[in-house]
Parts: sequence; C-alpha cells; structure tokens
Amino acid sequence: MTFWDFQASARRRTWGLLAAFALLVLGIVAGVHLVLALVFWTPALVAVAFSSLRLEQVAVHYPAGFLATNVGIVTLMVLGGAWIKRSNLSQGGLHLAKQLGARAALPSVSHAEQQYLNIVDELCIASGAQRPQAMVLPRDLSLNAFAAAWKAEDAVIVVSMGALNYLSRDELKGVVAHELSHLHEGDTRLNMELAGYVFGLEMLFNYGSDWVERGVSLFGRPLMAVGWLGWLAAQALKAAVSRQREYLADARALQWTRNPDGLGRVLRKALWLQDYPLQADALQPRAAAAGAYSPLVDHMLLLDVHSVEEMHDFWHLGGARWLASHPTLEERIARVYGEEEAREALPLQDAEQRWVNPFSAPLPLGEPQASPLR
Amino acid sequence: MNTNLVVVSAVMAALLVWGVLVYNRLMALRNRTGNALAQIDVQLKRRYDLVPNLVAVAKKYLEHESQTLEAVIRARGQAQAAASALRAAPGKPEVADAMVAAEGALGGALGRLMVLTESYPDLKADDTMRSLSEELGSTENRIGYARQAYNDQVLAFNNASRAFPAIVVASMLGFHAMPMLQSTQSAQEREAVRVQF
Repeated sequence: MTFWDFQASARRRTWGLLAAFALLVLGIVAGVHLVLALVFWTPALVAVAFSSLRLEQVAVHYPAGFLATNVGIVTLMVLGGAWIKRSNLSQGGLHLAKQLGARAALPSVSHAEQQYLNIVDELCIASGAQRPQAMVLPRDLSLNAFAAAWKAEDAVIVVSMGALNYLSRDELKGVVAHELSHLHEGDTRLNMELAGYVFGLEMLFNYGSDWVERGVSLFGRPLMAVGWLGWLAAQALKAAVSRQREYLADARALQWTRNPDGLGRVLRKALWLQDYPLQADALQPRAAAAGAYSPLVDHMLLLDVHSVEEMHDFWHLGGARWLASHPTLEERIARVYGEEEAREALPLQDAEQRWVNPFSAPLPLGEPQASPLR
Repeated sequence: MNTNLVVVSAVMAALLVWGVLVYNRLMALRNRTGNALAQIDVQLKRRYDLVPNLVAVAKKYLEHESQTLEAVIRARGQAQAAASALRAAPGKPEVADAMVAAEGALGGALGRLMVLTESYPDLKADDTMRSLSEELGSTENRIGYARQAYNDQVLAFNNASRAFPAIVVASMLGFHAMPMLQSTQSAQEREAVRVQF
C-alpha cells in the first residue's frame, strides 16, 4: 500500500467510527428511556408474575412528558458536556501552548531553532497550509511534539527541546510534517468535539450516582449503568478515531516529505527509548508525571505518553490497546517503511557521535544500560 | 403535457446546476495551480537574495577560488534576468526554457560552491556561513517543495477534470489536462557535482 492508500483508508475508517459514535449517542438516549420505562414497569410485572392479575389490569401510566423528559435530559447533558469542553479550548491553541510552558521559536536563539523555523516554512509550502506559530518547550528533553488549533489563526506547532537536540534535519522534518497534518485535517477540533460528548456521557453517570446518594437507587443505578457503558464505549470509539488520525498524519508526513526515513527514524528512536526506559527517564522524569502534558493535548502528541502497562493497571481490562490514543510504534513503523524493510530500534545517539544535530549542544546521556525494570 | 414540461425543465435545471458546480470546482482547482506556480517564483527570488551574502562571506576564506565565486555571481545574474523576462512574457515556451536553463546553471554553481566549503574547515565553522548555508539548504528544499506542491495541484486538477462525468463539462468548456513539472530539464543541472583538489 502507498501513502495515498493509507490516507484513504484512515479517512474511511474515521467516517465509519464517527457514524458508530452518532449511533452510540442515539442508543444511549433510547437506552436511558427504556431503562427508566422498565423501572416503572417492574412493580406491575412483579404483580403479574406473583398474582392472578393480568397485564391490562396493572397497566402503568407514565408521568406527563415522560419520553420528552428522558430524551431531553440525556440530550441536554451530552450537548451541554460538549459545550463546556469546547469552551475550555476556545481560547485557542496558542493559549494552550503557553499554558504548557512553550515559548516562540526564534532564529536568533540557536541554529537548531533557525533550522526548525525553516523546516516549518518548507513544509507549509509542501502542504499548501497556512503557517502556524512555531514554538518550543524549552525544559522538555523528551522526544515529543504536538499541534493544537481551534481556528486556523491560532494554530500552533510545539516541539520539545529534546526533539530539537536529538533529531537530524530530516527527522525533525518528519515530526513537523506529522504535526502539520493534525492541523491540516482539523484533528484538534474533532477530538475536542468527541471529548465533549464523552464528557457528557460521564455527566449522565454522575447524575445517576447523585440519585443513588439521595437514596433513590432504583432510578440512580440504571442511569449509572447506562451512563458507564456509554462512556466506556465512547472512550473506545474516541481512541479508535484518534489512532486512525495518527495513521493519517504519518501517511501525510510521507506525502509531504517524500522521505520515509525521516519520520521512520524518529519512530525507531522512540522505540529505543521504550526499550531503555532508564535513559528516557534521564532525559525527562516521566512526561505524564511531570505534568508537562495536559489531557487536552495528549492525543495530539507525536508519541503516546501512557505506556500500555499503565493503561492496563488503570482500566483492569485485558485488551487495553483499544483505549490507547496511539497505535503501537511497531505498527506505525511497519506502515511507514512498508512490510518488508528493516525496522529495528535506533539508539538516540551513537557512542562516537555525541549528538545528532550539529547545531545543538551535547547532551548529558551516558552509555545505554539495560533496564532492571524489564 | 404539463407534467412532461415540468419534468423536462426540472431535469434541465438539475443539469445546469450540476454544470455550474463542476465548472466552479475546476476553476478553483486551476486557480490553485496558478498560485502554486507563483510560489515557485517566490522561492527563486529568495535564492537570488541569498547568493550575494553567501558569496561575501565565502570570499574572506576562498581567495584562491575566485573563479567559482564569479561563476556563482554570473549564474545568479543570468537567472534573475531570465526570471524577469518570464514575468514580462508569461506563457512563452522559449522564455520558460531559458529560465529553466538559467536556474539549472545557478543550482549547479551553488552546488559546487557548497561542496567547496566542505573542504575549508574555517569557512564551514564560521557562524554566519553556517547560518547562510542552512538558509540556502532550506531555500533549495522550498523550491523542491513548491514544485512538488504544484505537481500535487496539477494531479488534483487532472483527476477532477478527467473523471467521468465531469470530463463532459471540462472538455466543453476547454479545461485541458495540465502537464507536470519535470524535476530537471537542463543538462547542466543533471550533471553531477565534481570536486577537484
């Protein structure tokens, strides 16, 4: 398959997943109504089962506006949740990047930043995109990058200092092209909309637990159950959409750079960091723990900050992969290079070559050691 | 009779609306290719602007290589002249060919200069030179990407205008398939850079 095929497939699957998401929301609305109807019917059904009464004799009369209230409340929560989430990011990508400690990249600061700005310009020409604000996370030595935009005017691309230091020009180009695709395809917005609906379903669950706390568990528990199921299914769908967008961004990067080895080498270096977590920790105390990344952007990062094990512990689920926002590095590398080519991990820097980017400063990294954790 | 009239006019109206939509889409795609072509020119200008600075810095270190430097300056002058000739008379194939040839000569001369700098460690380490060579490398990439973006636009336009049934409207209104830019056309540009010591 070529990158054109991968792009088409990722787009098609995104649409399928979005349709499933819409059906899910409709299903939840119907589900809540059915569950509450069942609650009303339970005493009558019990009476029919344990006495000689017939169903017609115990027919239930719903309170006025029963259907309208049920559908209305659920719809209100889902849409309201989406609205609340949306207003969180309405201040724009630039605001978000600044909140996370990013500053504008300046050609006068270092050659590496001059190079980074040039790369952004080059790829904007290649993609025909409007130029986003290019920023740097100065204290972050891990290998990462993200892009965020609510409108085209406040689009921002942020790379970590580690990415500037450890990546060659071609590799950094692969990273920037990947992030540019997220902007180009409107992925921030898509994800925020989905996160909003997920949040709305979470509100439904909370609403149910409110009822339970007030002692009305007959109403509360079914609401909680439907809310929780819907929320979990929505999380899984949202993650699946996010994974497809990652594939799409990788394929876009190949289209614009026409150089699989750029992004490919970055992913292989990330694979090496995954195999040597001690080295990764030396660069940056766990990215997630350091709080450098907010849940608002973790799906936009080049690499997943949550390890599979972490997700596993958290969710207590067998196949935690389907809640991951990123495909595995191995899957991504296989797609970037095509099936038959070499795809072993690449050390972050060679023993002889102290640092990769001649424009950047040497890095405090010792000999690689196997991790005792594995 | 009356129903027939309604059906016929409805079909005609639908065809007309469809025709207008196809026309607008093709027009937008063709304008985008024009814009992509203009972007190449913008990047070429950037290259002309960089060359004098590059030569000025290199001159300090390359006293015995004045020939190479002169060749670069000459090629830059010719390329700039050819580019303004093309802007004055766009669409003339011979002017376009001359421009492509002059660009090729400049590209070749710059390539030789950059290879030369590799063998002068002092020059290579010069801060301004490093900065300039990054800018030059970036400019070369931009020219390449601008060409690539143009070709991608041409591909999109050709796909849209050659697909059935849009091809009916396209051929009626004179939207012809556009040629892609070939990577290199001049013999000088294809020639590999040779280094002599």
